[in-house]
Parts: sequence; C-alpha cells; structure tokens
Amino acid sequence: MDGCFATPRFPRMLAAIFNLNGHAGYVHVWVIYLSVPNLIVIVLMLVLFLGALFAPFPNSQHRRRS
Amino acid sequence: MSYSTYKQRNRELNDAARTWRGGYQPYDLVKEATIALGVVALIAVVLAILFSSPDEHPSSIRSWSRGQPVDFVTTAVSELDGSSGTAGYGPPYNHAQIGQHIAFIHLQQWFGVAHPINTAQDYVIGPLSQIPGQPALQAAVATYTHASASQQAKWTTAYSNALAHADVEPQPTKTKPETEPAGASDVVVMPPGNYGPVTTMMNALLLYAQAGGLDGALLRSGQFYSTDYTKILMFLADGGLLASRAQAEHLLGTQWGMMNETGSFPGQSWLWLYTFWYQIKPFSTSANADILVVAVMGVLSVLFVLVPFLPGVRDLPRKIRVYRLIWREHYASGS
Repeated sequence: MDGCFATPRFPRMLAAIFNLNGHAGYVHVWVIYLSVPNLIVIVLMLVLFLGALFAPFPNSQHRRRS
Repeated sequence: MSYSTYKQRNRELNDAARTWRGGYQPYDLVKEATIALGVVALIAVVLAILFSSPDEHPSSIRSWSRGQPVDFVTTAVSELDGSSGTAGYGPPYNHAQIGQHIAFIHLQQWFGVAHPINTAQDYVIGPLSQIPGQPALQAAVATYTHASASQQAKWTTAYSNALAHADVEPQPTKTKPETEPAGASDVVVMPPGNYGPVTTMMNALLLYAQAGGLDGALLRSGQFYSTDYTKILMFLADGGLLASRAQAEHLLGTQWGMMNETGSFPGQSWLWLYTFWYQIKPFSTSANADILVVAVMGVLSVLFVLVPFLPGVRDLPRKIRVYRLIWREHYASGS
C-alpha cells in the first residue's frame, strides 16, 4: 500500500489523494539537472514574489481616500 | 559621474532617508504574525492531505543479501581484505588516509577517528564469531585470523577474482518453507579454486545476513536504545544497492541529488547553489570537493551578511528600484 498509512482496521484511511511516489520528470540544460516538481516549486515561488510586488496592499483604496 | 560626486549623492540620499518625516500608520505585528502562521498551517495540512509523504521501503542488509547475494559477498570480501570504501575512508572511521583538506585546514584529521570501524573485524570476523553451534565455521575463522597477511590476501584475492564467475543457487541442504520469499536462502556457488577458509566464512555470513542476524549484530551498541545505524549504512554504501537505488531516484551527487527527493515529490530546491558547485570543475573532479564547496559557500555567506558594508553592492536596491514597485501608491501620491 504505497503512499498511505494503513492498518487492518483502517485500510487506506489516510491515503494521499495525489500519489507522488511514482517517477518524476527531469529537465536537463547544460549542467543543470532539475526535477519537474522542483521546477514547479521554483515557478510558484517566483509567482509569489511577483504577487508580493504587484498585489495592492489590503485596504489601499480606503487608505488613499482617508 | 565622478567618484566624489557619486559619494556626495549617496551621502545626501542616506541623510534624507535617515529620518522619516511623513505620516505614520498603525500596524499590528502580532495580528499579522498570527494570520501568517494560520495560513501557513492551513496550507501545510491541505498539502499533507493532498500529497502525503514519500513512502520508500527501507534497504537493510537482510533485503540486500537476499536480492543481490553476489554483490553482498563481493562487498563482504572487500571489507575482509580492507579494500572497501569504508576501509580506505580515513577519519572519522579509521586512519587509512588524512581525509579532505584545503590548504592548512585538515578538518577530518582534526576531528579524528570519532566512530572507529575495523571493517574486517566489525563486518565479518566479529559477527561470524558470535554464531553459535558451528564448529566448522569457527575453525575457518580461526584459520583465517591466524594466517599471515600475505596468505589472507592470496585467499581473498582469489575469491574476489572468482566472484565474477560465481552462480547463485538455492541452498541445497535446507528444506525451504512454503512461505519463504524468493532469494531468502540462496547461496553463492564459486568455481573451484584455492580460497582457503574464505568460502566457508562468506557462505556463513551470507546465510546470517539473509536471516537478518547481521543487521542486529551491526546495530548492537551496548546502550538501551540502538539507534546508531552508521555501521549498517557504511556496509550498504560499500555495495552496489544504495548507489543503484539512488541513481534510479536521481539522488546521486552527479544528478543534483542534494536538491531532489524520491518519487515525484519536490525536494530541497534551496540547496541549488550547494549542489551546483559539485557539477563543475574543479569541484566535480576534486577529491576535496566537500570541503572546497563548504569553503566557497562560507565565503559567499559572509559576503551576503556583509552586503550593507560593501560599497556598490549595498546601493543595488536603490539602483534597481524594486522598492518603488512595492510602495508605488506612496510614490504616485508624490509624498
């Protein structure tokens, strides 16, 4: 039973919805050898960084009016 | 712009920024931190439910000796004759070499042999001596230990060379239980040769390992809790099992393994710079790669800490002007 905590009493009770125990894809450019899951995390971090740059502050409209 | 003008301009900017003359807004730091903690905890729980965690089955000497008996025996002979990776590693396991160093810095040597491993004694002779009720085996161990070093080397060299032509067969004298998994009691059949007592010793060690006895013998530490797996791990690392599993999971140093995780899980991507150095020369071909990489990262870390004191580098945020994007409302208002 891969990717889950299971006992005879609670079979697959806490199984993962997405099983990531399979093989990952890899991107190989020059000496850089990057797994696709790592690439996704790095892209998400960049998106988060850009979001932090461009997203307006909470209540910015209210603050501007006041 | 001349250097003096540049310095003057910088001094003016620094003086202008030293005291804030604009308005102030109330800011509840505790509230902000509580919200951040709650959001991160919620994301962690949701991700744990969605993706669970890596579930790789562990490797043990028992599973290794059952699945790859020839590789196990090959490794055991190398431990016996002192040609294994562990036997020649140096500190902290033995004095075989001085270890990695950079200039006058000999960290491995300075910390010394903190976890001594005598591969022949700890991995072969010691465990075999503990097996009771086998006088033929004990006689073979005694023959080996009392032989001269050159005689021992002749036996182990002949055995190692012949292993390339060895066969794996089920143990002939044992009645195999129906429930026993395949390979649980396979023996390595050697071509005829002068191996002295080594054949008897290796066959006994293989059976002992396949039964799980060697895992227990190497884990025994004399303390209540046995959690020191160093000897087991080093023995496994000397064989081919760990390397083949690591290669299949892209965890080798040459595969940027430091930042990878098993399966399709994201790994430690923040270690990209550490593992990057191992991919390029001179690090990729140096016997002192580890200490060289640590030194480079140490220097870079110190430079990073010293950014506020480095002329030019400390002015980069002002030049790049990313802060104006974040505080664009403030700058748009002209204040």
